[in-house]
Amino acid sequence: MSRTVGWILFAILALVGVVGVFLRFTSSRDLAAYGSYIPWGLWVATYIFFAGLSAGAFVVAVLGHVFGVERLRPVAPLALAIALACLGAALVTVWFDLGHMERVLNVFLRPHFSSMMAWMVWLYTAYAIATVLALYGLWRGLPSLTRIALMVGTPLVVFYPGAAGALFGTVVAQSLWHSPVFPILFLFGGVLSGIALVTFATVFFSRKDKDYTDRVWLLGRITLGLLLMYLLIEWAEYSIPMWYQVGHEFEALMGVLFGPYWFVFWIFHLSLGMIIPILLLALWPRNPLAVGIAGLLASSMFLSVRLNLVIPSQVQPQLEGLVNAYRDRRLSYTYLPTLFEWSVVAFSVALAIAIAYGVVWFLNREKKLEVTQ
Amino acid sequence: MKKIPRRDLLKLGVIGGGGALLGKHTAEALQARAASVPGSYPIQEAENTLYSVCLQCNTGCPIKVKLYEGVAAKIDGNPITPWTMYPHLPYNTDLKRMARVDGALCPKGQSGIQSVYDPYRIRKVLKRAGPRGSGKWVEVPFEEAIREIVEGGQIFASIGDTRNYPALKDYWALRDPKVMKAMGKAVDAIWAEKDKAKKKALVEQFKVDFKDYLDTLIDPDHPDLGPKNNQVVFSWGRLKGGRTDFFKWFFDSGFGTINQHGHTTVCQGSLYFTGKAMSEQLDFDEKKGKFDWTGGKKFYWQGDLSGAEFAIFVGSNVYEGGYGPPLRVNRITQAVTEGRLKFVVIDPRAQKAVAHAARWIAPKPGTDAAIALGMIRWILEQGRYDRKYLSAANKAAAKSVGEPTWSNAAWLVKLDDKGFPAKLLRASDLGLPAFQKTVKDTAVEFDPPIAIVKGIPTRIDVQSEEEAVVGDLFVNTTLNGIRVKSVLELIRDEANKESLEGWARIAGIQPEDIAWLAYEFTNHGKRAAIDIHRGVSQHTNGFYNVLAWYTLAALIGSHDWQGGLVQNSTYDILGEKAEGPFFLKELHPRKLTPFGISIIRHGVKYENTTIFEGYPAKRPWYYNASDVYQEVLPSAAQGYPYPVKILFHYMGSPAYALPAGHTQIEAMLDPDKIGLIVASDIVVGDSYAYADYIFPDLSYLERWEFHGSHPNVIWKTQPLRQPTIAPIPETVKVFGEEIPISMEAMLLALAEKLGMPGFGEQGFVGGLPFKRPEDFYLKMVANLAYGEAKDGSKAVPEADDEELEYFAKARNHLPKSVFDLERWKAAIGEAHWRRAVYVMNRGGRFEDFKKAFLEDGTVAHKYGKQVNLYLEKQAGAKDAMTGQPYYPLAAYFPAYLDSTGQPIADAAEGYELNLLTHRIITMTKSRTISNYWLLNVQPENFIAVPTEDARRLGLRDGQRVKVVSKSNPEGVWDLGNGQKKPMIGKVKVVPGLRPGSVAFSLGYGHWSYGAANIEVNGKVVRSDPRRATGIHANAAMRVDPVLKDVTLSDIAGGSAVFYDTKVRLEPV
Amino acid sequence: MPQNGVSQTQDLENRRAFLGKFASTVFAGMVMGGAAVKAEEVKKPLQLPSQAPGGPIQPELEYEDVLVRMQRELEAAQQRGVTPKWVMVIDTRKCVGCHACTIACAVENKLPPGVVYRPVIEEQIGEFPNVSWRFTPRPCMQCDKPPCVPVCPVGATWKSEDGIVDIDYNACIGCRYCLTACPYQARTSDFGDRWTDGTPGQGKMPYEELPMFEYGKEWKPEGHKSPVGNARKCHFCRHRLQHGLLPQCVTSCIGRATFFGDANDPNSLVSQLIHKPNATRLKEELGTEPRVYYLV
Ligand SMILES: Nc1nc2c(c(=O)[nH]1)N[C@H]1C(S)=C(S)[C@@H](COP(=O)(O)OP(=O)(O)OC[C@H]3O[C@@H](n4cnc5c(=O)[nH]c(N)nc54)[C@H](O)[C@@H]3O)O[C@H]1N2
Ligand SMILES: Nc1nc2c(c(=O)[nH]1)N[C@H]1C(S)=C(S)[C@@H](COP(=O)(O)OP(=O)(O)OC[C@H]3O[C@@H](n4cnc5c(=O)[nH]c(N)nc54)[C@H](O)[C@@H]3O)O[C@H]1N2
Ligand code: SF4
Ligand code: SF4
Ligand code: SF4
Ligand code: SF4
Ligand code: SF4
Ligand SMILES: [Mo]
Repeated sequence: MSRTVGWILFAILALVGVVGVFLRFTSSRDLAAYGSYIPWGLWVATYIFFAGLSAGAFVVAVLGHVFGVERLRPVAPLALAIALACLGAALVTVWFDLGHMERVLNVFLRPHFSSMMAWMVWLYTAYAIATVLALYGLWRGLPSLTRIALMVGTPLVVFYPGAAGALFGTVVAQSLWHSPVFPILFLFGGVLSGIALVTFATVFFSRKDKDYTDRVWLLGRITLGLLLMYLLIEWAEYSIPMWYQVGHEFEALMGVLFGPYWFVFWIFHLSLGMIIPILLLALWPRNPLAVGIAGLLASSMFLSVRLNLVIPSQVQPQLEGLVNAYRDRRLSYTYLPTLFEWSVVAFSVALAIAIAYGVVWFLNREKKLEVTQ
Repeated sequence: MKKIPRRDLLKLGVIGGGGALLGKHTAEALQARAASVPGSYPIQEAENTLYSVCLQCNTGCPIKVKLYEGVAAKIDGNPITPWTMYPHLPYNTDLKRMARVDGALCPKGQSGIQSVYDPYRIRKVLKRAGPRGSGKWVEVPFEEAIREIVEGGQIFASIGDTRNYPALKDYWALRDPKVMKAMGKAVDAIWAEKDKAKKKALVEQFKVDFKDYLDTLIDPDHPDLGPKNNQVVFSWGRLKGGRTDFFKWFFDSGFGTINQHGHTTVCQGSLYFTGKAMSEQLDFDEKKGKFDWTGGKKFYWQGDLSGAEFAIFVGSNVYEGGYGPPLRVNRITQAVTEGRLKFVVIDPRAQKAVAHAARWIAPKPGTDAAIALGMIRWILEQGRYDRKYLSAANKAAAKSVGEPTWSNAAWLVKLDDKGFPAKLLRASDLGLPAFQKTVKDTAVEFDPPIAIVKGIPTRIDVQSEEEAVVGDLFVNTTLNGIRVKSVLELIRDEANKESLEGWARIAGIQPEDIAWLAYEFTNHGKRAAIDIHRGVSQHTNGFYNVLAWYTLAALIGSHDWQGGLVQNSTYDILGEKAEGPFFLKELHPRKLTPFGISIIRHGVKYENTTIFEGYPAKRPWYYNASDVYQEVLPSAAQGYPYPVKILFHYMGSPAYALPAGHTQIEAMLDPDKIGLIVASDIVVGDSYAYADYIFPDLSYLERWEFHGSHPNVIWKTQPLRQPTIAPIPETVKVFGEEIPISMEAMLLALAEKLGMPGFGEQGFVGGLPFKRPEDFYLKMVANLAYGEAKDGSKAVPEADDEELEYFAKARNHLPKSVFDLERWKAAIGEAHWRRAVYVMNRGGRFEDFKKAFLEDGTVAHKYGKQVNLYLEKQAGAKDAMTGQPYYPLAAYFPAYLDSTGQPIADAAEGYELNLLTHRIITMTKSRTISNYWLLNVQPENFIAVPTEDARRLGLRDGQRVKVVSKSNPEGVWDLGNGQKKPMIGKVKVVPGLRPGSVAFSLGYGHWSYGAANIEVNGKVVRSDPRRATGIHANAAMRVDPVLKDVTLSDIAGGSAVFYDTKVRLEPV
Repeated sequence: MPQNGVSQTQDLENRRAFLGKFASTVFAGMVMGGAAVKAEEVKKPLQLPSQAPGGPIQPELEYEDVLVRMQRELEAAQQRGVTPKWVMVIDTRKCVGCHACTIACAVENKLPPGVVYRPVIEEQIGEFPNVSWRFTPRPCMQCDKPPCVPVCPVGATWKSEDGIVDIDYNACIGCRYCLTACPYQARTSDFGDRWTDGTPGQGKMPYEELPMFEYGKEWKPEGHKSPVGNARKCHFCRHRLQHGLLPQCVTSCIGRATFFGDANDPNSLVSQLIHKPNATRLKEELGTEPRVYYLV
């Protein structure tokens, strides 16, 4: 029954996604709401969202296989499947965002070493290879390959969300991005959201073996710890520029908190993405349902963090009055993703699910591993 | 790579497809170009450059059109002209260099290609397929439309309208030039007769004398209404030289209607007509055969910025409007940053020029005369006027003091028993003898005016170059029992009517501002310029505002001095000065000379006509003004003084342009009132949406015209507009010739159908053909090239072989329907060809930079005549509404009066905000909404509200409000047929506006012109929402409470009134 | 019949005698009290400041339009064989906020909707009645330390020797990273919109089918080919410089507020202007070292 519902939901998601992608290829980006003053929108946010998820998921496998947290070992295949799926979704989303999708290989053909974006792509590539190898090791029953791949992947998983953070953090022009905490924040956020996602998946989709509840408890605890630490960092991130209530960053942050999209912060991020999961995890640490829901909320709501990271900085005009100097819908400082943009995101989500499902299904079929129930 | 020929693409784009656009250039040419070398930049090459004139606004900046395979790719300034360079390159600059140097243009000039390649342009004749203004059209063959107009009848039967529409041929009633001339003379005699009975007798005599022709008259009992020909009216918006002459050839010489009226009064009417009154000369009037006021020119002065040290811009939007930004702004910014110029802006609105102004003075709207009079008072009190200039009472005296002009400041004026300065004191009043003159071998008497010279009343031989009369300036006495005052004394009386504080209070400014202005103004010798424009003239008191400022200018007598007041000068194109090579006046084989009272009742004294019925008249009469735009349609609809049968309207948009424009729509709606309306436009505009037929026209990049110049251009010039791209309208056959549909094609075809002399194989005297537009225009080019000396000594050089080659190459893309080298040559003959090419290669004729300045500090092209400060001619005529004579001196009259001179008190009814309007640099009235590039700079306009009023009224930025006034309490555009468009705009709170005023800029708020769906051939042409933005609040402007069907007007100067209306803003 | 009225050169006595004859016959008993009419006294016989000095003021005769001078200098810079150092100077005291530069640039480079290289920011400032305007045109600053360059993942944009920050339209992947990195928001993305989309023109009016010549190449508008999908920005009209022509925003500056030239040539107009104390640059504090100077 629930399986059917799942399938129906997936089918809808996929259908919407396919329509979105079709539109993306036919009507170019006509229907997107981003422009030149807010050049990066939902897709870029989705991309870093998925990238973070991927990293966090990978960390679970690393914990299990490299750091010897035995209890997490059984979910390593699931975690790696999720990591691969999210990475795929991330890359596809950002690929859709390019003005010249056909030239994406230029990143390899014309590498530009000063660009954080270039570095990020290369790190991704390396990381993707590590993930695939680790999975290959699991599939083939080559634990040392998995271990080595995961060990190699460990610094990558530290660097690439860091690089993603640096991609923003190095942009002098954007006062809200231009902050040394950014790489750390990215890393943390990624790990948090990814582990939360694995927690969710573990609760609902993993085999309920004897360690199931312990594993869930452990994942819940890790998630809770990360949530609390994230709150702390966020407090630092917000309180410093807010202190004297002047400057660009202050204005941008005020926009985040009390601007037209205040609910993104207060409702999606803080309430649904943080407080409720924290409460669930703190009050019912051993209740898998509570932990699972907390995981789902903490991971999925993290998109709001990514949105709040990408958009508000751009909403601040670099030059006062520029917006009135030449007017066009592409030259505006307001941004609300269009249905079209969401539909492309739907595609990415569907794609991620498909990849994860596919990998798991493949691993299951081989009977070598029993990843899920 | 296969490319679709661009002409096919255009087919998709333009309303009514079909026909070639690009002429000779097709796919092959495009492919050839595709193979061209990288790094090539073809659009800057001489062979791809054609020179013409911008018409995005009326400044008419000379341009170069850079072509890419026959498509206008970029427009820049023609560098050999004073409009776009300062100093400009010499006229003999070679073509390659000209191509390399780009002159500056304003943003509208830059974006012109979007006006020309506008997807809403029409290519075929449209005929209405529903009631007027229904938005339903069918495309009809050109010949069919011509036939229907000429023959009339039930031409709208197909839409169930069985009215008999008038036939043009029936109203070409009087065709005999001799008879028409004789009738005109007889009518003049009737008008000249003061005695009622005798007048009547003259009318009876007229009926006897012309008994065979009475059926050609509108009303034989009132022969002064003229022939039925007058019931065909030609009215226009923007029309310039060459085309003017072409259209006159048809309507005036050919058709013989007196009714040819332009748009001057919507524009800056009173500026022109005050100029006319001030330039009347007391001289021999050939028409009257006696000495009288004559030769007043419809013209005005502007400030010369090449030499001004101090300039006052009064109601003149010098950075954003006016004539024109590219040619004035650089002079100002350069001189101001170098400290050579200080300028002041007098405007209730902080126009952009206040950015660099020494002071911004924001008076109450409509009170400009008060400021001028305050300054006059201060200057007279301080003695800081140019005594030498003002004392010079005639030409000789001016000469003796080195002045190019003189005034009548020292002349004596008689005061009548009411103290009214009714007439000049003449020699005969004192029993002094008249001058005996011989003009053209006949003896004539001249009873001259008088000045006091050293205490002695002295006769003034006004135009004498030898006998200087240097008069006393302040005279107030009684001579021979007659109370007299000198003109300057009268002016002082006017100025002394209020104290400095009093004038300041009226204008709502500081007395110190007036004193400072007056001090500065008199602190620079002749180099203090006054530049006044619409903000001064478009009030009910416009005439007197202008007169007051020009009177002030005369106190320093800066006319014709560099840095002072200067006038326009252009090269003759009609061959009048050199009487050839094509003396057009003499080339018409059977020229009619229209006569009678015009539909706008101008240039005639009401009381002299046979339809005089006491005061007030049914509608105002405009003795001083002509081209009274606002009166054409309402008068026609009312049928006063007679009904109009067919109205031709060209390149205007009276409904959009005029204040209370909805009254103009009302006038057009009913075919029983105005029989047939035939319009010429490039799109379905906001006014011609109400026409019966719209003929597509050639845009400014496709046609001929001689744009002329403006007063502030001290160089003698004549910019030439000429075809630069293939025509967009369809091509038709007229007189057996292929030509694009255009106003010219329409007139040629009508002439052909009517068999009108002056057109066709024998169109010109001497048997030259007039079958194509070039047959006419090239003769003017030849005249321009030949110059104004009979012996040809002022001719331009001949084009050499290389130039001839460029000439042909650059026109290679033009189709035969426009350009055919041999045919063009034939139109003027080999002898004139090379010089004409020289002119066409340069886009006109332009004097070299240095030539405009003379050693003595005066400008080369002078007004050089008398400047009237007292207007005797005006004092001798009566306002037809009040029966009172026009006031003959600068004076302050409050603004906002109805046509009978009664004040309008809307403020008492809660309409308390003064509605202002103005230009922004990116927009030209109804014409630039198609320029999407410009719309990105400002996509919509707004209603500017001063900070203080916004606070008081609780209005916020961006809030939507409706503009309502006493005469439009609903705040809507009544578009007829039950359709209404609310006048709603967004508030913008601004600091730069005098409290109590609100302002909107011109150019938005369209209801047609692509802003609304129309139906053509049963198919909907979808509108473009970008063209429907913003607000156009002209319909809130006050309807005259007496006339009820037209805007308020300045009865003396003709201006339509834009700035006096009191409104309320209602939040919606 | 002798003419009345006398030229000033004639001596007064002459005139008296002449008029006297008349007076005796004609004016007798007519002029009040037989006495000559007295012109009313003028209160203060102040002298007006001197009239226009003898000759015309024609400083302009020795002067040429800066456009002509700058083009001459440009042509010379092309000949010098030394890499020029292109700089632009914008005199905010002369800018009149006309936006001619914006549009000239848009037409020259056939900019589609949403793409703009040189907007002009206008603000009305002050409070009634002390009101003024401030106009700030904003081309690409061609920063000497351009934050937009290092971020590009594919090296599609770089700082050229002559100072212009170029974009290779054929390499750019359209990631818009550079857009976010420019502190002046001088880069915009070409989304391939057409001006007459949604009108009977269907985005295909002749001017929308014209090529443009940026970077010395002929770019035809075709589907989604470059520059559609790319980052675009002001390039100091490199394609015109190649031909010894001034940038279009310079030639069309009606306030003559925009200057262009080679700062390596000490005699150039721009060299004279940028070394004055009133020359500043936008957001100097960021250290981007703009090549566009503003005179204030
Ligand atoms: N609110 C407000 N209203 C104003 C003013 C203002 O300051 N504020 N200013 C006034 C002034 S100064 C003036 S001069 C008037 C002008 O008013 P009008 O002389 O009536 O002129 P436009 O509004 O320019 O209308 C011109 C019409 O000609 C058409 N047209 C354009 N090009 C061509 C062409 O090549 N051939 C033909 N045949 N037609 C063409 C256009 O499509 C348009 O329909 O507006 C006045 N109206
Ligand atoms: N951009 C642009 N330029 C144009 C044109 C165009 O349509 N667009 N049209 C051309 C034409 S046809 C014309 S006639 C000229 C017109 O040129 P201008 O007359 O210079 O232009 P407007 O903007 O109408 O300027 C009128 C000014 O008078 C002010 N004003 C209003 N009432 C009063 C008053 O009572 N006293 C004073 N002192 N000022 C007052 C207004 O605020 C406004 O700034 O412009 C020409 N140039
Ligand atoms: S001022 Fe502008 S719109 Fe007017 S003619 Fe000149 S360039 Fe054209
Ligand atoms: S202004 Fe912006 S786009 Fe131009 S060089 Fe500097 S950072 Fe780059
Ligand atoms: S948009 Fe193009 S130029 Fe800009 S960073 Fe991306 S690839 Fe480089
Ligand atoms: S230099 Fe050229 S590209 Fe740059 S803003 Fe000026 S016109 Fe545009
Ligand atoms: S063209 Fe010149 S004056 Fe006009 S806005 Fe641009 S910089 Fe300013
Ligand atoms: Mo006008």
